[in-house]
Amino acid sequence: MASIQKDPILQVETTCGSLLYELQIIWDEVGETETDRDKMLLELERECLEVYRRKVDQANRCRAQLRQAIADAEAELATICSAMGERPVHIRQSDQSVGSLKQELGTILPELEEMQKRKIERRNQFVVVLEEIDSIANDIKGQGEHVHSKPLIDETDLSMRKLEELHCQLQALQKEKSDRVEMIRNHLCTLYSHCSVLGMDFNEVVGQVNPTLSDPEGPRSLSDHTIEKLGAAVQKLREVKIQRMQRLQDLATTMLELWNLMDTPIEEQQEYQHITCNIAASEHEITEANSLSEEFIKYVEAEVVRLDAVKTSKMKELVLKKRSELEDICRKTHLLPVSDSAIDQTIAAIESGIVDATMVLEHLEQHISKIKEEALSRKEILERVEKWLSACDEESWLEEYNRDDNRYNAGRGAHLTLKRAEKARNLVNKLPGMVEALASKTIVWEQEKGIEFLYDGIRLLSMLEEYNLLRQEREEEHRRQRDQKKLQGQLIAEQEALYGSKPSPSKPLGGKKAPRMSTGGATNRRLSLGAGMHQTPKPNKKADHRQNDGALSNGRRGLDIAGLPTRKQSMNPSELLQSPLVRKPFSPIPTTVVASKANIATTTQQHLKHNAVNEMSSFATPVKNNNNNNILRNLEEEKMMTMMMQTPKNVAAMIPVPSTPATISVPMHTAPTPFTTNARSMSMSEKPEVLEYSFEERRLAFMLQSECGLV
Amino acid sequence: MTMVPAIGRELSNPPSDGISNLRFSNSSDHLLVSSWDKSVRLYDANADLLRGEFKHGGAVLDCCFHDDSSGFSVCADYKVRRIDFNAGKEDVLGTHDKPVRCVEYSYAAGQVITGSWDKTIKCWDPRGASGMERTQIGTYQQPERVNSLSLVGNRLVVATAGRHVNIYDLRNMSQPEQRRESSLKYQTRCVRCYPNGSGYALSSVEGRVSMEFFDLSEAAQAKKYAFKCHRKSEDGRDIVYPVNAIAFHPIYGTFASGGCDGFVNIWDGNNKKRLYQYSKYPTSIAALSFSRDGGLLAIASSYTFEEGDKPHEPDTIFVRSVNEIEVKPKPKVSRLVCGIVATVVAQRRL
Repeated sequence: MASIQKDPILQVETTCGSLLYELQIIWDEVGETETDRDKMLLELERECLEVYRRKVDQANRCRAQLRQAIADAEAELATICSAMGERPVHIRQSDQSVGSLKQELGTILPELEEMQKRKIERRNQFVVVLEEIDSIANDIKGQGEHVHSKPLIDETDLSMRKLEELHCQLQALQKEKSDRVEMIRNHLCTLYSHCSVLGMDFNEVVGQVNPTLSDPEGPRSLSDHTIEKLGAAVQKLREVKIQRMQRLQDLATTMLELWNLMDTPIEEQQEYQHITCNIAASEHEITEANSLSEEFIKYVEAEVVRLDAVKTSKMKELVLKKRSELEDICRKTHLLPVSDSAIDQTIAAIESGIVDATMVLEHLEQHISKIKEEALSRKEILERVEKWLSACDEESWLEEYNRDDNRYNAGRGAHLTLKRAEKARNLVNKLPGMVEALASKTIVWEQEKGIEFLYDGIRLLSMLEEYNLLRQEREEEHRRQRDQKKLQGQLIAEQEALYGSKPSPSKPLGGKKAPRMSTGGATNRRLSLGAGMHQTPKPNKKADHRQNDGALSNGRRGLDIAGLPTRKQSMNPSELLQSPLVRKPFSPIPTTVVASKANIATTTQQHLKHNAVNEMSSFATPVKNNNNNNILRNLEEEKMMTMMMQTPKNVAAMIPVPSTPATISVPMHTAPTPFTTNARSMSMSEKPEVLEYSFEERRLAFMLQSECGLV
Repeated sequence: MTMVPAIGRELSNPPSDGISNLRFSNSSDHLLVSSWDKSVRLYDANADLLRGEFKHGGAVLDCCFHDDSSGFSVCADYKVRRIDFNAGKEDVLGTHDKPVRCVEYSYAAGQVITGSWDKTIKCWDPRGASGMERTQIGTYQQPERVNSLSLVGNRLVVATAGRHVNIYDLRNMSQPEQRRESSLKYQTRCVRCYPNGSGYALSSVEGRVSMEFFDLSEAAQAKKYAFKCHRKSEDGRDIVYPVNAIAFHPIYGTFASGGCDGFVNIWDGNNKKRLYQYSKYPTSIAALSFSRDGGLLAIASSYTFEEGDKPHEPDTIFVRSVNEIEVKPKPKVSRLVCGIVATVVAQRRL
């Protein structure tokens, strides 16, 4: 019982029992019916039951919440653990039932808390790494400004493995960054060296690539783009460098060549030694500052140009020297020198730079050697020619001497002349043989060479032939003179017989007085050959020129040709007119064209007619017009004309009139009606058959015609 | 520089042969002169300076400005050229089949129009690559040899031998807008459009100028007329001279005519009055041109071969400053008003 008493429930039960008892007493007292009492008790019982149920429900709910909390904590713990990549500690325990739920919760909560703390720590680690990665990636990607966005963290994976991964990534990036920095540094170094070599402003070049690069302090852009541009800039400068280097080397080569050519003294070379020593250097060997700058190249170029100019002038001198040498040889060997104009042209060409002087020089050299060779082959004959010519000189002197009737008059030096005459006579006797031999030699030579032997541009054989002819002539004359003398002698004798007087000796009347060239030593051999030869060389020479000298300048040839039409024109103008060249612009030319008509007219009569036409075409002189027509027309007609002239109709004359104005235009002018519009329209109606030309067309026709006449 | 006030200032360094045409620039007082001596010359008319000379392969029959730094020339060597004055360079726009007589540049169409004795007119695009025929826009057959051209706005008037006159719209060159016959009975020398674009003046070899209108309505056609000029009466006879040149004043619309008599006359076409006659020049007037503001008149006194080859005065260019009184039209009405005012004033004074 004691246990029951101690039990609060029992106490409650007692309290309930006592209360029930009290209630029964009250009911008894009240006299409550049994049914009411039952009813009341039932209600009481039901209310109690309800209170119980509520409590039980509450407890039940509390338990469920607890379980839920535990489950939640466990779940969170599990996610954190899984995120952190750790085996959950708690799950093992949960398998064994450990005490009550509250205990369980009590154990799990601190665990969870710790896990959460660890997770936050881990997360922070991630953030740090990711931020770093981001910033480096940004640097590399080259977005100008850092965008400080919170890096996105994958909350489900915060494992150490992942962290390590990220670390690796970070390291890789850091390496890349340092690589890039190194690369940029390298590029900048190269760029700097290139710039210094090329004499360019480094900062400007770099600034063009990326402005951050030229800033020594601030962060430099590391992006691909920058590197690419930098690389391109380096490449470009390198190309420029190579290009300039090649140019410089070209210049240096030229310079060396020029030095070589002109034997430039060492002192003069010294100044440019540092350039020429780089002649074979490769691109990376040239590092000296400004050694490839624009100014430097210009400076070298100027020197080369100067040297070149010196060379050209020297070359020209050389060409001229060679030319004079050539001329000299030609003169000595009596060859025709190369035409002056051709050489002048080549010199002009050298000056203007069209032709390389060396080529000309070579050409000249060749020419000289050729001529020398030729001269050698000509030597023998030339010697003979020389002899022959001197013999000829003597001969003509002798001739002269013989003609002098006072030759035997004693005077100073007479004995010398006598001696000379004797020698000359001897020589002259040998002359025919000499000529013969020379001719045969020449013929052999010509046959051998297949060309004509020219002596100062004249065929030697023709010279010889001519000489022979001349000689024959002379001999004939001699004979005649002798006969005459004989005759004269007879006459004198007769006269003497008659008058007893004697005429003083005089020079023969008939003989031509030849110039005494031979006595003074001939300067021009050709002239010395005698008067008879004078006129022949010229046409010959001209013909030879045409045939042989193909290099004759156009201008000269043009002139030659130009000579022909001029002559022709004076002979037959109408022929000229018919040449298609003149007519072309206005073909077909009707016979009415006034201007051309003028030239066709050959007879005086036609000319007169034409004059009339010409005058008719002039407006300002209608009066004169009349006068001219007078020649052609009778008085009656003239009257008509005067009438017409007063009217503007005279203009009709202005428009070319049919070719024979005397016949065709007359009916037009003598229209029976005086000046009326009708008359005018009549004249108009006739006109369309005739082509009317404007002043300009006629002027052009005239111009072309006169131009043709000139050419 | 010789000052001859009566006939104007003579330019030094004139062409050595006949002057075929001269024109003032639209933007300066530069003067472009083409000549039979196969050259085109550019003068500064104010400074009396020969600024450039450009040699061609044949007699230059006409020239015109493109802008102040370039121009066009046509030549008896059948070629149409563009000349760059500054560079002294010329390129050939193309060729005709016969000598080219005249050239005009249309600012409206940006085209060069040339007329030739090959009985065609051709249009060229001067901007085209100088490849020979690439610049050519079109060739348009004419009934006869072209002797004169004139442009106003989009209208082109072509005068040919045989007294034909064709009027074109530059925007549709396929066929002439109008085909006419010259109202004058003799060969056409020169045709020039009115600056107001309503018609054209046409001169002939027989001292006459006709004034024509584009509008075909009866009212407009009723206004057309022709008048005699450049004639001389001697002993009761009329001596008639060709009228070689017509030039319209850019502002007043009056015009100058030049003839083989060596006279330059200024006319008021609207009021049918002669405003002025300048004193006689040494020889025939070959060409005339007013400067852009009408302040200067360039006169080519140069024998035009009207009487064939004969000795003649040297070819000269005169530039005279134009007095407003010489070129300003004097309408009858305003003169009447002036008269009335004058009489009123006079009466009051009395």
